[in-house]
Amino acid sequence: MIGPQELRRLSRARELLRACGEARLPLRRIARASGLSVSHFIRRFRAVFGETPHRFRIRARARQARELLLTTDASVTEISLRLGSSSLGSFSTRFAREVGVPPSRYRAIAGREPVEAFSCLGLMTGGPHP
Amino acid sequence: MRIKLTSIFVDDQARALAFYTDVLGFRKKTDFPVGEYRWITVVSPEGPGDLELSLEPNVNPAARTFQEALLAQGIPHTAFEVDDLDAEHRRLRERGVLFTRDPADAGPVRIAVFADTCGNLIQLYQKRK
Repeated sequence: MIGPQELRRLSRARELLRACGEARLPLRRIARASGLSVSHFIRRFRAVFGETPHRFRIRARARQARELLLTTDASVTEISLRLGSSSLGSFSTRFAREVGVPPSRYRAIAGREPVEAFSCLGLMTGGPHP
Repeated sequence: MRIKLTSIFVDDQARALAFYTDVLGFRKKTDFPVGEYRWITVVSPEGPGDLELSLEPNVNPAARTFQEALLAQGIPHTAFEVDDLDAEHRRLRERGVLFTRDPADAGPVRIAVFADTCGNLIQLYQKRK
């Protein structure tokens, strides 16, 4: 059972987990902001959101990288810096592990068919057209 | 004009398919790639077989904003009907599902609300006799 206050706090924690680079907060700070011990926070977060805060943060960063790759002209290096990666190499490796292809390749493939509004309507007409 | 398709946003399609089939008991009907995502629908084994629920990725930031606001406010996105709410509640809790509202009477129905692990709260309701 999870009460409304804890639900709000975990939702807020999810927002905090999205912060990258200099704004990135350590897990224990976010747990404390939720009023929970780290282990309890991880358990409750996972029960509601289906994955640990750590996994969520990795996926959120990959999602942010995808959006920047698709919607801006920023170089992969700039994007890696903006997201707080210590090196272009580690950023590319992590991205490839999460998404399946390296960042530059992703931009080349996915950029051709941006799926901004995914809806059954768009699907039935063959997808959004550029 | 017929209502045959309804949809729900999910923040991870693979996890959603697993939860909606293995845990909730729906059955996968369609699953094919659409760009880097998938078109996935499930149906209820209790029928009808042509009333589908699609599990859509919440790629659009507007979808995420909407979904997250509902969850933070404790508002369920969708409601499913069951014959025995208390039995369903027990079964789901044994599977590790977290409820935000335990079974309680609410007018003509008995309801409960749980988290679907994909960013949504779901309501279950049983019509009272």
